[in-house]
Parts: sequence; C-alpha cells; structure tokens
Amino acid sequence: MLLALVRKELLVLSRDIHGLAALFVLPVIFIIVMSMALKDVYSPHVDNLAWSVIDKDKSAISSTLIERWEKGNGTPMGLPLDWQRALREGQLKYVIQIEADTGNALAHPEKPDHPVIVLLTEPGLDMGVFSSLRAQIQATVTKLRVEILLSHLPADAQLDSDALNTHYWVNTERASAGSRPTSVQHNVPAWLVFGMFFVVTTIAGLFVEERQYGALNRLLSLGASPLMLLVAKILPFMLINCLQAMLMLGVGIYIIPLLGGDALSLAGINYLALLAMLLSISIAAISLALLIATILRSQAQVSAIGPMLNILMAAIGGIMVPTFVMPPAMQQLAHFSPMNWALEGLLDVLLRGGDLASISIEAAHLLLLAVIAIVLAYLMFRIRKS
Amino acid sequence: MLRLSDIHFRYPKASKPAIAGVSFELARGEILGLLGPNGAGKTTLISHLAGISPLQQGSISVNGEPLAQVRNKNPACIALAPQEYAFYPSLSVRENLQCFGSITTTKNLSARITRALVFAQLEQFNQQQAQTLSGGLKRRLNLAIATLSDPEYILLDEPTVGVDPQSRAFLLEAVQQLAASGVGVIYTSHYMEEVEALANRVVIIDQGKLLRQGSLDDLLAQGQAVLTFAQIGLNSEVVQRVLGTYGELLASTSMQLTQQLLLNSQCTPSQALVALEQAGAQITHAEFGRFNLEQLFMQLTQRSLRD
Repeated sequence: MLLALVRKELLVLSRDIHGLAALFVLPVIFIIVMSMALKDVYSPHVDNLAWSVIDKDKSAISSTLIERWEKGNGTPMGLPLDWQRALREGQLKYVIQIEADTGNALAHPEKPDHPVIVLLTEPGLDMGVFSSLRAQIQATVTKLRVEILLSHLPADAQLDSDALNTHYWVNTERASAGSRPTSVQHNVPAWLVFGMFFVVTTIAGLFVEERQYGALNRLLSLGASPLMLLVAKILPFMLINCLQAMLMLGVGIYIIPLLGGDALSLAGINYLALLAMLLSISIAAISLALLIATILRSQAQVSAIGPMLNILMAAIGGIMVPTFVMPPAMQQLAHFSPMNWALEGLLDVLLRGGDLASISIEAAHLLLLAVIAIVLAYLMFRIRKS
Repeated sequence: MLRLSDIHFRYPKASKPAIAGVSFELARGEILGLLGPNGAGKTTLISHLAGISPLQQGSISVNGEPLAQVRNKNPACIALAPQEYAFYPSLSVRENLQCFGSITTTKNLSARITRALVFAQLEQFNQQQAQTLSGGLKRRLNLAIATLSDPEYILLDEPTVGVDPQSRAFLLEAVQQLAASGVGVIYTSHYMEEVEALANRVVIIDQGKLLRQGSLDDLLAQGQAVLTFAQIGLNSEVVQRVLGTYGELLASTSMQLTQQLLLNSQCTPSQALVALEQAGAQITHAEFGRFNLEQLFMQLTQRSLRD
C-alpha cells in the first residue's frame, strides 16, 4: 500500500508542471542570482566607485597620498563644479578632501589639533563600503606618516602615544540634505520596498481563489468588466501599501530608538516626492501582482512562485545587497528590477534630499511597468475568460 | 421572452464547435430544463446567457432587444448561480449578500438582502462565515445571491449537486417559487427526476447540437413505446432473434433481471410477448409504457461515455 501511495504522489507531482518548476527551476535561478549578487558582499569592491579629490595642500606629501590612493581605487573623476550636489545625489560616491598644511602636519611628530583628511561619502553609500573606505584611508595615512616620521626623525625622538592614532587625522562623514544618515535610514527604504511588493502573493492568491470559487464569473455576469475587476483591486491595495509604509516608517522613527538603535529621520525631506514615490511603487507592485494573478492557476502555484519571485527581484534589485558591490553584469541586471527603481527613488528622497525632479526617472519606470502589466493582465484575463 | 437564435461557438484551437446552431426560447415564469451529457455545451450556453462569454455567431434577445443592450440597461436582468459556490468563503452570509447585491445598485439593498435571506431560509445563519456552512446551506446561499437583483431570468447550473435530500427538496421548491413569481428559469442538471419534476419545457443538446426541445409531455409522448419484460427458458441469442422483427432489444447486462424492447411503431406489446411464448419462453414479468426522461435522454445522447 505504501508503495502504491508513493507512486500516486509521484504521479500527481509529475502532473503539476508549474509546481515542479517552482520546486526546481526557481531555486536554481535563486542560487545563481544570489551567489552572483552576494559574491563580493564580504569583501566589497571599493575600487570602482566614482570618486574625486580636493587637494588644498598641494604638497609633495599630499600628491603621494593621492598617488597611493589611485593605485588601489582607480583614477579620480574631475571635481564637478557643484560637487556637493553631485555627492548628495550619488553621482560621486566619495570625495577625499586634503586640508591645507596636511604635509606639514604628517611630518610633525605631534598629533594635529584638527583632522587633516576629510572623507565625504554620498548619503546612500552602504555601511559596509563606508567602513571599508574609512579603514582604507586611515591605513593609507598611517603608513605614509610612519614612513615620513621614520625618515625625518632622529632615532631618540619621543613620540606622543597618540601621534600615530589616525582617528585624529581622518574625519569621515556622509553628505546629506538632512540629518546624519544611519543604518536605519538605509534599511527602512529597502525593506519597505520589499514589503510593498509582497502584495504580489496576496493579490494573486485572492484572485485565484475568486476564480476557483466562481465568484469572478458571478461578478462578470453582473456586468463587471475585466478591466473594472482589475482596477478595483488597485485602490484597496494602494491603501494597504500606504498603511505598510506608515507602519514601517513609524517603526524606524519610534520603535527602533526604544530598542537602542538610531531613529529614522524624515527631517528636511521632500514629502511630496516621498508620497509620489510611494504611490508609484504601490501602483507598480499591484499591477505586477495582477499580471501574475491572471497567469497563475492555483493556490499552490501562487504560494510557491509569488514569494520566490519577490525574493529574486529583491536580490537582483539591491534590496539584500547594494548593487554597487555586485559584479558588473549583475549591476546591469539590477537596472531591470522594479525593486531597484523603487529603492533608488526612496533613497533619493530619504537620504539624498531629492525632490520630484530627482525621482522622476524612477517613478516613470515604475509607472510604465504598471501600464504594461495592466494591459497584459487585461489581455490575459480576456483570453482566459473566453 | 428570452430567445436564443442559431448560436454557434468554437473555442480557440478546438477542432469541433462547442455550440453548433442552437436555438430555443424561454418565457418568464417558465422553467426550462437544459439537458446534455458532460461536454455537450451547456456551460458554454450558460456563459453566453450570463454575459461572460461573447457570442461568435447567432443572437440572444430579451423581448426582441439584443441581450447586450438589455445588459447595458440592467446588467442583472439574467442572474447566474454557477455550479461552484460562487461567493467569498471568508465573508459571512450577510456580507456576501451585501457584496454581490451592491455591484449593480445599492438601491433597496437592505430590503433585498432580507428578502433573499428569507427566500433561502438563511436568516439564522446570516452572521455565519460562508466557509463554515454545510453543503446544503452553501447551495442555498448560492441561490440567494442570484435572486438579489430581482432578475427577469435566472440561470441555475446544477444547483443541487452534493446536497442531502432535504436540502434538494427545499431547493426544488424554491425554484418553483421563483418561477411562480414570474422569473424565467434555465435549469441544468444531471438529475433527470429533478428536471421531470420542475421543467415545463426541456432542451436536450449534445456535442453542441440541439437534439430535441419541447414540453416535457410532448417529448415523452414522442418517445418510443418500450416493453420491459423478464422471461425464463430462452437464451439471449434466441430472444434477440425472436424479437428482431418487433423492435430493438436494448443491451442489458447479465446482472439485469429484465430486458427492454423498443417497439416498432406498427407492433404491439402483446404481439412480442406471444412470439416469445411461442418460442418457448415463460414470461414472469411484463410492463409497457413510454420512455421516462432519463430513458429518452439516454436514447438521444447514446450510451457511450463522454469526455
């Protein structure tokens, strides 16, 4: 009997092509995508970031410092006229500012009374990359100072124990329109996007249930058109997405500090841009969900494919790891993930002080996706109906 | 009057049409039994009538006006109670009625809901979640939803599947009540006794084609006379040979105690029975009559199993 039951299970499984695809194909894609995306996450590449330098010292020592930095981090971009803005908007990833008199300070045995090197990064730079850059520049400065001191100072010279501590030498900060960005400021947008796109599974599940139970046919018989049925799902789920956004932003602002973390700050952000971005994300996520809903046929398919699709979009889109630590091919792929458009738009608003103009491209991408998805969903619905 | 004229429909990539030239009509207050084996085209016809599936050829009109125009004015003029439990299982009975009742209009919604609850005797279950209802109650809710918008015609697609005899009796009475109140009912079912008990008229279709339509009495009167008999003394081959000139002996299994002979129009039952006795048979049982609906249905649609 057991053998017969096992045989039956295998037979039933073999007939569920979509279910099997979810079990075999999606994990394979998932492994490939995640492995590629996470390839460099534990040793992030900082050598291909767009950077620039402001050398106020213009000494031989500052030139040496820049030369050494270039070796490990590539050629700097020319400093744009409005470099602060370029930095805030993420076009420049970081700027190294070498203060006047740095050469003298490094050659002097005593510690300086103020930092001589300033590392300014864009607000959206990943925390890991930020720390890596800071450590790297501190090491570079320390090495250079040790070399200078060893070549200039007499053997019996007394050094202050703090003189080699480069914490005094390098100041690091993020450029920001508002308050100083924290890990919360980085994480909340990412997981907000992830959460908003989770409506895919919910909508698809409800739609499949509606179809299976015959409620959809009943609504059609009452004169509801396919387009109306699809559009009617948009408004309630936009409300859900808005509540999600409020909840997650609220957690960042009020709950995280209670647990000892930094609070999310919305100080100085453009609220209209935030609202526009959230609505664009919501419409795109819901439209995509409707397309998936019209394609999938059973609850089993929805529960297998829905979450997997979400995780894949998140992995590709830079939700789980920042796109710039991905290999170049994956970075290109990231530009095709709706979650990437959503995340970049939110980072523009929440970290880079972006306004409506700043988010226009990301929002346009999301809205275009929504239109295409709705049209395809409508066509799919009509084909299935007839 | 609801009139279907020369309906043709072929599903994409299908080799044969699902509907091929079906025409019939239904007056308000009438119950029409729409019969056919699985795959005959009943559900496709229902879909056309319910406005779910567009027509490819032919026309449907209500009182001479094309159905599409009638639907534009009153989308709920033809209501549907599908085979499935077409409601939201997580909602209560009342919530489901509110939900479907407000799709076309919210006018008199509360009164319409109360009337539907009373009609289906669901008052005491109105707060109960639909998924926790018994099979019979679910069927009643399915029917109640269809009555919400005061339709002129109602399509009941196998409304008694999976219910106990009590619920079935209730549902059949409810359908009769609907017809008595002036609603035209198209009733599909595989339970022939239900259709015999309810329908004023019957339409039998198979493989998309109309096989027979008319009042139940007329249809049964058109059916061939059948002689049911039991005998001892002759084997089946001899019986077949003896009765061959009197009509068609229907195939029977060795488990059946009786056999049936479809009599030719010029033959009488006594002639056949005498012939059997003269051949040496001892008749132990004999009865004569016309086909009932099930026998007529089986004769028209043949006995072979369907897809």
